Amino acid sequence: MRRVRCLLLAAVLLLTGCAVQVQEPSLTRYEASFLSLFDTVTTMVGFASSEDEFRAVAQQIHDDLEEYHQLYDIYHDYPGINNLKTVNDMAGAAPVQVDRRIVDLLLLCKDMEQETGGMVNVAMGSVLQLWHEARMDALADPAHARLPDQQLLQQAAEHTDLDKVIVDEEHSTVFLSDPQMRLDVGAVAKGYAVRQVCSNAPKGLLISVGGNVCSTGEKPDGTPWVVGLENPDGGNYLHTIYHTIGAVVTSGDYQRYFIADGKAYHHIIDPDTLMPGTNWRAVSILCEDSALADALSTALFLLPRAEGQKLLDRFEASAMWVALDGSEYFSPGFEERLKT
Amino acid sequence: MKRDVLKFRKSDLLAAALVLLAALLTCALLPRLMQTGEFASVYQDGRLIRRVPLTVDQTFSVTGDYTNTVTVKDGKIAVTVSDCPTNDCVHQGWRSSGGAIICLPNRVEIRLPSDGTVDISVP
Repeated sequence: MRRVRCLLLAAVLLLTGCAVQVQEPSLTRYEASFLSLFDTVTTMVGFASSEDEFRAVAQQIHDDLEEYHQLYDIYHDYPGINNLKTVNDMAGAAPVQVDRRIVDLLLLCKDMEQETGGMVNVAMGSVLQLWHEARMDALADPAHARLPDQQLLQQAAEHTDLDKVIVDEEHSTVFLSDPQMRLDVGAVAKGYAVRQVCSNAPKGLLISVGGNVCSTGEKPDGTPWVVGLENPDGGNYLHTIYHTIGAVVTSGDYQRYFIADGKAYHHIIDPDTLMPGTNWRAVSILCEDSALADALSTALFLLPRAEGQKLLDRFEASAMWVALDGSEYFSPGFEERLKT
Repeated sequence: MKRDVLKFRKSDLLAAALVLLAALLTCALLPRLMQTGEFASVYQDGRLIRRVPLTVDQTFSVTGDYTNTVTVKDGKIAVTVSDCPTNDCVHQGWRSSGGAIICLPNRVEIRLPSDGTVDISVP
């Protein structure tokens, strides 16, 4: 009888121990998502003591991101806002008075263009526009999908000199001195916006804007977040990684593409060939700075591994490359973060 | 027969091992037991419109600007046909847990049951 009581006690203790370990009682995990920003899905995860509390935080982050979304939009006008579409529309005509957030982004873009040897160039808008139109046409009418005209691509490539983006910090104006130049900040805008918004957000949140993941610190119980890297071929995760602070982002050939003559053409265009990059299927970047991570993922996607590694060393980032045959290559620092 | 009351016997060890095993199993299964079953939640325009048990094979449509045909089979769910322009939702394939299947043009999000480990997924 005594033995039975002992065993019962032991069982109760074990169960209690495990229950305490499972969850901190006062905080609940919440998730929110929005499909209206940056033409992609925005997800937030966090812990709060009530749904209303989390909702308020999520709404504030959404509103902040929405301002960046409107400022960096090159396709739509918004009343009372001079955005990058305004700057593009005024190319060759006049400087445009813009929000500080546009000035700061463009200054960073100029640095990144230098650092990446031109692989990340936001003045490539005219080239990217041709690819964008080809993709839209192909998606609307797949049977008649075709590539952009080579001659038009070559002509557009004549108007991608980032030095002709005149940024006046003091007066907060931007002027494209080449009338045929267009800005397209798609390779950095999401990462930059997430970084800025994260820096003002409460601790212990995980935010993803179209796969630009940024954390404002570990979970309340002190454990790291787990980020799943999706498989380029669909289905289950390729890997899961531990994540406490900073950014994770992937550039992949499977994200935005169209099919012409049975071949897939994705959206990451090599400035040298004016064609989609063909070195890799995907590159994932781990880096403290989300804006840098976004730019690096584009650059590394377009560069051979050795050159990519040089950039990683320079910016203290790490990467996983997925080759066309499915092989995976890891830079120093990536393996330590792998969970599975 | 003289016997120490507190003497440890083989059967005690076995019983202790059994209790430990039961406790560990409960620990491992508790989160799963506490769930109300494996459901995918379908959101349109940010609003929950349907919860789908992954245990029941079925096919249904979600209509907005476009129409997504959603199929549940063998515990997995996928958008199997869509008339949206990009078909990104279809390319996301068959999923059973973790993250969400998204059709941006149709503003549809199919949230999968948490797999208990992954907090967010990177496309």
